[in-house]
Formats: sequence, C-alpha cells, structure tokens
Amino acid sequence: MNRVRTLQSPALVLSLLSLLWVIVIVGLFALKPSVLSVGTITTVLQFSTILALVSLGQGMVILAGGAGIDLSVGGTVSLSAVLGMLAVKAGLSPFFLPFVCIGAGTALGAFNGVLVTKLRILPLIATLGTFFVYSGVALSLTGGSAQSGVPDWLLWWGRGVLAGIPVPFLTIAIPAFAIAGVVLAWTSWGRWVYAMGFNERSARLVGIPVDRTRLILYSLSGTLAGAAALFSLAWLGSGRPNIGQNLELESLTAAMLGGIAVLGGRGGVGGVFAAVILLVTLKTGLLQLNVNTVWQVGIVGALLILVLLADRFSESWR
Amino acid sequence: MNAPFLIAKGVTKRFGALTALSEVDLEIRSGEVLALLGDNGAGKSTFIKVLAGAHSPSDGELLIDGVPVTFSSPKDAASAGIATIFQELALSENLSISENVFLGRELKRSVLGVPFLRRKEMKERVAGLLKELEAHISDPEAPVGSLSGGQRQAVAICRALNLNAKLVIMDEPTAALAVAETRKVLSLTRRLAERGCAVVLISHNIADVFEVADRIIVFRRGRKVAEKIRSDTNPEEIVSYITGAHPDVRALEKAN
Repeated sequence: MNRVRTLQSPALVLSLLSLLWVIVIVGLFALKPSVLSVGTITTVLQFSTILALVSLGQGMVILAGGAGIDLSVGGTVSLSAVLGMLAVKAGLSPFFLPFVCIGAGTALGAFNGVLVTKLRILPLIATLGTFFVYSGVALSLTGGSAQSGVPDWLLWWGRGVLAGIPVPFLTIAIPAFAIAGVVLAWTSWGRWVYAMGFNERSARLVGIPVDRTRLILYSLSGTLAGAAALFSLAWLGSGRPNIGQNLELESLTAAMLGGIAVLGGRGGVGGVFAAVILLVTLKTGLLQLNVNTVWQVGIVGALLILVLLADRFSESWR
Repeated sequence: MNAPFLIAKGVTKRFGALTALSEVDLEIRSGEVLALLGDNGAGKSTFIKVLAGAHSPSDGELLIDGVPVTFSSPKDAASAGIATIFQELALSENLSISENVFLGRELKRSVLGVPFLRRKEMKERVAGLLKELEAHISDPEAPVGSLSGGQRQAVAICRALNLNAKLVIMDEPTAALAVAETRKVLSLTRRLAERGCAVVLISHNIADVFEVADRIIVFRRGRKVAEKIRSDTNPEEIVSYITGAHPDVRALEKAN
C-alpha cells in the first residue's frame, strides 16, 4: 500500500511527463530535423508563459477541492487585457497599465470566489457563467477589434530574451511557480489547501478557514490571469478581446496532466509546470508540421480525456 | 477521589417541543473513564454535543474546575480543554500523521508573515506522543491513508493530547473496528486516563464499557437513570437500565 502511494508521488508524474516530452521531441525531430534550435525553445517558452500562469491558478483552485474549477480564466485574461488598454485610451498614464491588468484580474477572480463561497453556487456553473460574462463584455467593449497603444517599455520587457529564455517567462512565470511550490509544500497555508481539498468536513472540524482560503485561491487565479493578460499586451503589442480563447480547456488539461486530482487534495505545481511545457511543445510541433489549428484543439481535448482515464485507473489500482 | 474537572448541573436541552435532555446532573473527574450508555435517542449524543460546545443548553449550567462556563462554539470548548474525537475522526488521509496531529495549529516560523512549517519539531513531538501511547506506529511521516482503523484512533487521540486536552470525549471509538484493534483502542483509552485526562466514552458495546470504564452512567429518554461504579454493578443490571426493565427506571418513569 505504501509502495503504491510512493509511486504516485510527484516524482512519478514528473518522470512520465518528461518521458512524453522526450517522445514528442524525438517524433518532431524525426519528422522535421530543422525545428530543433534555440529559437524553438525561446518560442515554446514564450508561448508557455500565458498558459503557465493561468494553469497555476487553475491547478490551485482544483487542488483546494469542493468541486473547485475555474472555467472563467480565458474570459478573465481577455477582459483584463481589454480593460487595461481601454483605461490607457481613456487617458490613464501607461505606467499604471500593469496595476490595471492585475487588479482587474484579481477583482474578476474574487467575484468568482464570492459566487462560490458566499452564494454557494457550484463552481462549474458559477465560473461557466462568469466565463460567458467576462468574454462577452470583452468583445462588446471593443466591438471585437484589437486595442493598440501598448507603451514601448512594456514591449521591451515582453519581447526581451535573456540567454535564449524569454524575459517574461523568467520574471513572472518561474517566480510564480516557485512561490506557489514553496507555499504549498512548506507552509501551514499549503497544508490547509491539501487538507480541505481532500476532506473538507474534517478541515472545517479542525478549524481551518475553508471559505476564506477558497476565496483567496479564486482571487489568486484571477491575479495570475491578469498577469497573463499583461504579458499578452507586452508580447503582442495590443489588447485582443479573444486572447483568452481556449485557455480554460488548455489550463484544465495542464492541471490534470500535471497530476492534480480532479477532486482535489492531491498533486503539486511542479507537475503542472511540466505539463504546460509538454502541451506547448506539442502544439508548437504540430504548428511546425503544418497541422491545422483546428486539429490542435482536438488533440488537446483528446489528451485531457486520456489523462482523466489514467486518473480513473490509478484510482482503482489503490 | 479527585475533585471533579467538570460538573453538569440540571443540563436541559429542548428542540422546540422536544426535550432531548432533561435535568442531567453529573460529574466528570480527571484520571477517570466515564462511560455513557443508552439506547439510540437516549440523549447521550446531545449531552456530549453540549459538552463539546456544538449545542448550548436550554437550561442548567456547566462548571469547569468549579467555575461556570458557557460555550458558544466548539472552539470555546476546545480552548477550555475539551477535545472531542468524532466518529468520523476528522483526519485528512492525504496528509501525514504529524501533519494531521498539528492540522489547523501547526508549529511555524514566520518569515515575512509567511508561516513556514517547523516539520522537524512537529515530527519529534508526534513521535514522542505515539511512543507514550505505545501506539506502535514507527513513522510519524506515514500518510494517514495507509493506517488501520485503530491506528487512526491513535492519531486522533494524539491530536487531542497535543491540544493539551483535559477532557477527551470519544464517540463510539470501537464501532467499526476488528477485535484486535478494539483491544488496542481500549488500552489507549485507559492510558489516556492514567495520564490524568478525564475521558468520556460513548459506546453501545457493554463488554467494552465494562473493560475500561470506572463509572457508568445510563441515559434513557433524555434523563440520567443510573450512575454506577463499575465494581458495584454487572452487565445484566446495566442492560435492564438501558431497556427500562429495571424496577428503578419503571418507578421513575411512572412518577413522571
């Protein structure tokens, strides 16, 4: 029994993901040797940044259990980006752009948290609702057009590369994962998240502030989506009302693939990080091989089903 | 005989028109195992919920060390030194033994306001408690999910001890256990009392009760109908109190 448990530890997830990653790389190399270069790594990491930030929030919301899920992440990213640019257009100094994006994301996430913890709406339904609201508002505010006017200094940050690694990846994605990893593993807050994720009733009985913790995690998911929105502005140079499209599906896949149990209480952020890199490598590879983008989304969906199946079987092994 | 740790005086609990507990007087002493017996609905669960702070009594009072107390929440009861081990134990199977023992009140070192765990101290403390209880669990870092029912009881008892509980309430601790496990939990219960804790044990199993309890109190229809020192009674008599067949109970019920 103990041995099975050790095998299911994060180390197993990480080694499986690394193996899958190597398979993807080898397959890609066999089909198109020219893709393997520093430039590809830079591209993969640049594309990973948005998904990494959003998946981190998604993963923590799921980890805390209570049927936790954040389907609104895509809408939050789009709306935060659009709100940031609209604020600049309305005359706000561009200096405040980061604060607007991250602040808007946090507020939108906190709204999800209130729906879930105070009004007791099932997270799946609450965040599905806000997903439509947030992405709808992003579209209607802009009429569907991209909002330009990102300041140069932000572009300089968003497009900078240091030793082959994109600067935004180094300065926000990696620190966010490192902080989340440390907090989950080494602090009492982390223990509370795992405890409430696994058995909410017992967590309440021992006096853990379950609702407050959950509200904070939904807000944090929003904060990370806001940071992703800021990065999208800095990278693309404009606020696109559909920038967050498909992020809910992809971040869910990354969280599940990264070993976070659907029902909460098990998993870690290291696996999520590896899963994000794997997913983006796969997508970039498919792009390089000229596979239609429609198929890319389909492949992500198929991967999600595979992961859930694997989770189901590992459940029955125990 | 020690002075009583807790005295209940005329404790009554009504739910609307229903009287679940009526004028219960009893004493709980440190170092003693007190068993509460009674049929389903006899009022014993309501009584421990009053002790644990989950219900507040409609009438009557509780005195701890001679001082009247009122509990408005389980937290109040816990800070007065009353720990309840619920049937479902309130353990997180995905966390280790030491994490469970300290869950919600971890030992921590604050760095910039972030509460980092002091794992080593927690582990040592739990290893000490487990050894003291002779629980035969070698690794405090093992996940609770890998433990047997009796070992989980031991973890829950450790939790109570770690809270410096002076009164531990155990609700049907042996209900779902195999024979060998039951023995172990009963000896844990005994050891808890020897450490100077007051123990209130709720059980349906009269054999278990006669093995560990010093005093036995029987509830019937919300009243305390009997209080006996174990050596002065026998299982047959207790059963007749529980079922209401005993002449004393009949007389009492006729009088009302």
